[in-house]
Amino acid sequence: MIASSFWLPPDISTHGSTIDLIIEYVHWFMAALFVVWGAYFLYCLVRFREGANPQATYRDTKAKPSKVAEVVVIIVEAILLVGFSIPVWAYYRSEPPGADKNPLVVRVVAQQFAWNIHYPGPDGKFGKSKPELVDESLNPIGLVDGEEDANAADDYVSVNIFHMPKDRDVLVRLSSKDVIHSFAVPLLRVKQDAIPGMEIPIWFKAEKTNEDAQEIMKRSFDLPASPEGDDAETFVKENRLRVTMAKYGSIETGSTISMEDLKTLSDANVTSIEMAPGYPVNIQCAQLCGLGHYRMKGQMKIYEPADYEEWVSTRDDDEFFDEDEFDDE
Amino acid sequence: MSSDHHAHNPGFISKYVFSVDHKVIGVQYTITSLLFLFFGFTLMMIMRWQLAYPGESIPLVGGWLGQYLVDNNGVLLPEGYNALGAMHGTIMVFLGVVPLAVGGFGNYVMPLQIGAPDMAFPKLNMASYWVYFLGGVTMLSSFFVPGGAANSGWTAYPPLSDIANTVGTHPFWNGQTIWLLAMVLLITSSLLGSVNFIVTIVHLRVKGLTMFRLPFFVWAQFVTSFLLLLAFPPLEAAGVLQLMDRVFDTSFFIPSGLVVSGVVQDQYSGGGSPLLWQHLFWFLAHPEVYVLILPAIGIVGEIIANNTRRPLWGYKTLVYSVIFLGFMSFVVWAHHMFLTGMGTKMSTFFQTTTMIISIPSVVILTAMLLSLWQASIRFTVPMLFALSFLPMFAIGGLTGLPLGLSAADIQLHDTYYVIGHFHYVVAPGTIMALLGGIYFWFPKVTGRKMSTMLGHLHFWPSFIFMNTIFFPMFMVGLAGVSRRLWDQTEYVQGVDVQSWVRMSSWGAWGLGLAQLPFIINFFYSAFAGKKVGANPWNATTLEWAAPSPPPHGNFAEVPVAYRGPYEYSVPDAKEDFHPQHVPDSQVV
Repeated sequence: MIASSFWLPPDISTHGSTIDLIIEYVHWFMAALFVVWGAYFLYCLVRFREGANPQATYRDTKAKPSKVAEVVVIIVEAILLVGFSIPVWAYYRSEPPGADKNPLVVRVVAQQFAWNIHYPGPDGKFGKSKPELVDESLNPIGLVDGEEDANAADDYVSVNIFHMPKDRDVLVRLSSKDVIHSFAVPLLRVKQDAIPGMEIPIWFKAEKTNEDAQEIMKRSFDLPASPEGDDAETFVKENRLRVTMAKYGSIETGSTISMEDLKTLSDANVTSIEMAPGYPVNIQCAQLCGLGHYRMKGQMKIYEPADYEEWVSTRDDDEFFDEDEFDDE
Repeated sequence: MSSDHHAHNPGFISKYVFSVDHKVIGVQYTITSLLFLFFGFTLMMIMRWQLAYPGESIPLVGGWLGQYLVDNNGVLLPEGYNALGAMHGTIMVFLGVVPLAVGGFGNYVMPLQIGAPDMAFPKLNMASYWVYFLGGVTMLSSFFVPGGAANSGWTAYPPLSDIANTVGTHPFWNGQTIWLLAMVLLITSSLLGSVNFIVTIVHLRVKGLTMFRLPFFVWAQFVTSFLLLLAFPPLEAAGVLQLMDRVFDTSFFIPSGLVVSGVVQDQYSGGGSPLLWQHLFWFLAHPEVYVLILPAIGIVGEIIANNTRRPLWGYKTLVYSVIFLGFMSFVVWAHHMFLTGMGTKMSTFFQTTTMIISIPSVVILTAMLLSLWQASIRFTVPMLFALSFLPMFAIGGLTGLPLGLSAADIQLHDTYYVIGHFHYVVAPGTIMALLGGIYFWFPKVTGRKMSTMLGHLHFWPSFIFMNTIFFPMFMVGLAGVSRRLWDQTEYVQGVDVQSWVRMSSWGAWGLGLAQLPFIINFFYSAFAGKKVGANPWNATTLEWAAPSPPPHGNFAEVPVAYRGPYEYSVPDAKEDFHPQHVPDSQVV
């Protein structure tokens, strides 16, 4: 059985399948128990209703099947625990990729309500940061300048966009500068609280790029019967986070559908289109962090290794994320 | 029994308001907590509008919710959503379910079931109720202070809760500070109550009522009281520490170098630990889960024994399981904290204890199910509620397994899956059982029976809507939607599951409507229901030996317990039930 049967989002990480497997096994186990209990329960309700069995039996029921059931529960839980959960956790939490694996090391500093992604630059060393240097628009993590700390000179900070290559270990040192947040990337099967005063390491490796993820997540959508009216407006609103996966007449691949586009498509007699999320690999905050918790979202940009190197060589200034672009592109 | 109990003739105020009679206090607790339950649920019905129809004006009530909750168009604000969420959780747990299960049922039923004239410390009992009442009023008052009610979740994690409600508000009369004060009062109330319960159960049992002749409900209350007594003090201390952080800028939970909205928080010296709060909080809040469940399991046991007309299966097994559950509930708390940076050793310990604690829960459920075998089941209204508890509590318990396995928890933690899981335990589980308990003991309290027809009109829609609300949450959570989002359609996963979210919302509003027959039934039957005698259900435990309603002092003559609590369908007997207080000579 594939994981998607359990409504999980697609998994694009190397470790995620082990987590999905546990979720899947434990749900089969739960379902089996519930069906057995449920069938027995319903049978009793019918068979031993007052009308069918006016005289109850006083002596205790011999309960051998229930003892067997309890032993089975204990054994299955032990297997799930020792065979799956503990080893997966040990891998996930206890064995950070060493220097031999050449991991991409990145600091993530969470704040209300954004993700600051701090790259060490070509020297591979992070510059110092100081709380008193924090400037929300120019220097969100309070990085010192290159004169004070040479390591900081080539550092690079991206807000809300996490650039990374696929097929390479990524080691994130996660912290927060204000309250507790939680760095959650459902498609990478990653979730970790970001706690002020602590720097917690997490690591993961992507097997697929954003484009691969879009391929997996693309679906066909029937266009509303009329390009105007409530249905059309609902369609545009509900799909504002999706983009087209093919060229439809004058509408380019990768476009978000507008009311105008619906008219164009209707004129060209297109009745359904293929779309996928514009930003398939999103970062959510999973821990209540204040009034903007719901909009504390970032996105992963996972590249082919060569494309990542190209991004590294072409980036020039600290990149600040334009939320309008995220919503509309 | 001493005669002064009967000579005692108090005025109205001391009889019905500042009463020391456990029955009056039990009724006070029951009515107050039912009002809080409905109020807390109403908050959620408002939130469900924003989730189902994000950004649209709230119908009916949107206009008068006030500036801290809604904007000028009656759309719920994000901070308003957070405030309603925090207050929903707090009210349902600390002002609704616990006071109903322990303060209401425990106070009323437990002394009767052990044949006592009252609680061991009647004045302490009265103090417990009034401190609870004060705590409730304090909590509600926070809706009206500048900045509105607490909005940092019912778990109140610092540093968020330390810095929340501080800008543009009164330094003291603001949401989070009032929340802390109210919590201190509520915890104090629980502590007063738990001491009283333990002493009463140990000392005031009638002659012949050995510990292993106690009704299962009394055992459940006994273990619950120990949980309250031992688990609440750490949270009381933590609450006071957080109060110090907020009011006097101490740094118990504030680390160094905090920068909030670009402002360095140099009023704090720093060096504190945000995780310390989480440990103290969950050291209470996990046993608290069993404080919510155990009385409900006790009630279900009583109702099942009575309506299956046979002894509860494995009485001693049940008792040992409940005791074991109580112990274990103190060593599982950090499974709420797997993702706070925990290493393998810690997570192995806590997931192992979590798997172990599932075993007695399975045993309890199995025993309840085995009680149905070769029974003669009467589908009375309380029995319907008790039976519905079994599968829904099973769903709640089973869905705890993937959350208790730390690796699976990586994906499911802080998603709607968690919300579905614990609500199945507490709402379709515990609350359904408590409602069943009201139908069961109503004749004892009022001398009148509740209407069966209205009971069915209450039960069936409630059962259906409970599942309509909570089952879709598992799918929403698996899809990767975080909890506590004001607008989950900000994420594409949230858009995909919007139809499930709407289903939950409509279920919630349906559940609200489904309580109307109950409210009508409750008041109508209290005054005009069919009159009944002392023992309308042909039950065996001692509360049914007292008149309905029991007078001050409870029993006409002090009962003696001759046997265990569930002697139903004894072979060769005149009747199919042997009450505990009737001597052998009269039953065989």
